[in-house]
Amino acid sequence: MSELKFNTEERRHSVLVVDDSEDVHRLLQARLRQENIDLYSALEGSKALEIAASESPSLILLDLDMPDMDGFEVLRHLKETSATRDIPVIVLSGLHSPADKVVAFDLGAVDYVTKPFDLMELRVRLRSAIRMSDLIEMLGKLAHIDGLTGLWNRAHFDERWAANIAENHRSERPLCIALFDLDHFKSLNDTYGHPAGDAALQGFAKLIKREIRASDIPCRYGGEEFALIMPETTPEDGAIVCERIRQELAALNWPAHPERKVTVSIGIAGADGAVETSAEQWLADTDKALYRAKKGGRDRVVTTNLTSGQTLEHTKAA
Amino acid sequence: MNPQNDQNPLRSEFWNDPDMSELVTEYVQSMPNRLNSILSAYESRHREQLIRIVHQLKGSGGGYGFPQLTAAADKLEQRLRSLNDQDISMAGPELKTLIAICSRMAA
Repeated sequence: MSELKFNTEERRHSVLVVDDSEDVHRLLQARLRQENIDLYSALEGSKALEIAASESPSLILLDLDMPDMDGFEVLRHLKETSATRDIPVIVLSGLHSPADKVVAFDLGAVDYVTKPFDLMELRVRLRSAIRMSDLIEMLGKLAHIDGLTGLWNRAHFDERWAANIAENHRSERPLCIALFDLDHFKSLNDTYGHPAGDAALQGFAKLIKREIRASDIPCRYGGEEFALIMPETTPEDGAIVCERIRQELAALNWPAHPERKVTVSIGIAGADGAVETSAEQWLADTDKALYRAKKGGRDRVVTTNLTSGQTLEHTKAA
Repeated sequence: MNPQNDQNPLRSEFWNDPDMSELVTEYVQSMPNRLNSILSAYESRHREQLIRIVHQLKGSGGGYGFPQLTAAADKLEQRLRSLNDQDISMAGPELKTLIAICSRMAA
């Protein structure tokens, strides 16, 4: 689940330096050696664009005054290409005219440093730009995260579900989705209070994260409802994953109420290959399976195979 | 003191910086070659070529601890940009100052 890593301090940053002067490259390599930074070098524009697209550096230091493709042109290309658009750019220049600063900022540069640069100043501006870029990336991720459980939120689910359905239609690969609904959740809240209810949701979320594979997408779907998108997974395999989750949850001890277990009902709808089913219909079929799990006595997994049309139920007793 | 008469060695501001000593030494050692290129371009009136070399010195000088080099290169570059190829000798004084600085540079 690498998408949910938030610890940005751990990530190793890289900087692409674009300048036609070897002196500048040598200088920066020596000066930035003790920072926790990998350096890429480009002596001219086209090489710079190539490296930026393939290596996705955290930051680009761009000299404006170069022969052939000048810095402004490189900047324009960077911002017009989706792969490189969001990489922060600090422009370096020996030119002093204010008009260039305006053009640079207008084209999307985040900062401007004149040459010969004060190395201390460059270093701190560099760190500041990287920090800002990390925060923006984190913000983007946070907008898709459920605060209480740390799983993806409903907005993210809707996006990913639509994408996965499209992929299933296109690639004809298996796809599976599960809906989870904690059993007797309302009664849990009423009896032990909302903190216990929250603890149950958080505990369940932790459990799901432990049991799933790297490609699975766990989401908080509603109040006490969760969804799990399992790409490249047949309904049979999906059922194995979910049954494991069900068992683990039923076995958990809750310090707040050791006398009471928490269980979950699970409905799965999956296909072995491409199916004609729309996103909405597929979700409705999953919901039907969940309903059957509840009606059948809760604490169980019900799986519908959309390819064969079969529905199976797995219970702890059997 | 008139800068053109000053014969004292010009040390890098980073003479005491362990990270920089090797680099500064290399930079200083590259000066004779660069001076050759400068004089060569000047004598054959390759103004654009001369501007390129001088521009590089301007951009790097200060970074290696030689702000005077940057200043002298800047003056010469400005001068050259305002001239035609035929009038290149009018940049003589600025060139002399730059050469004097380069000759004095020491790690």
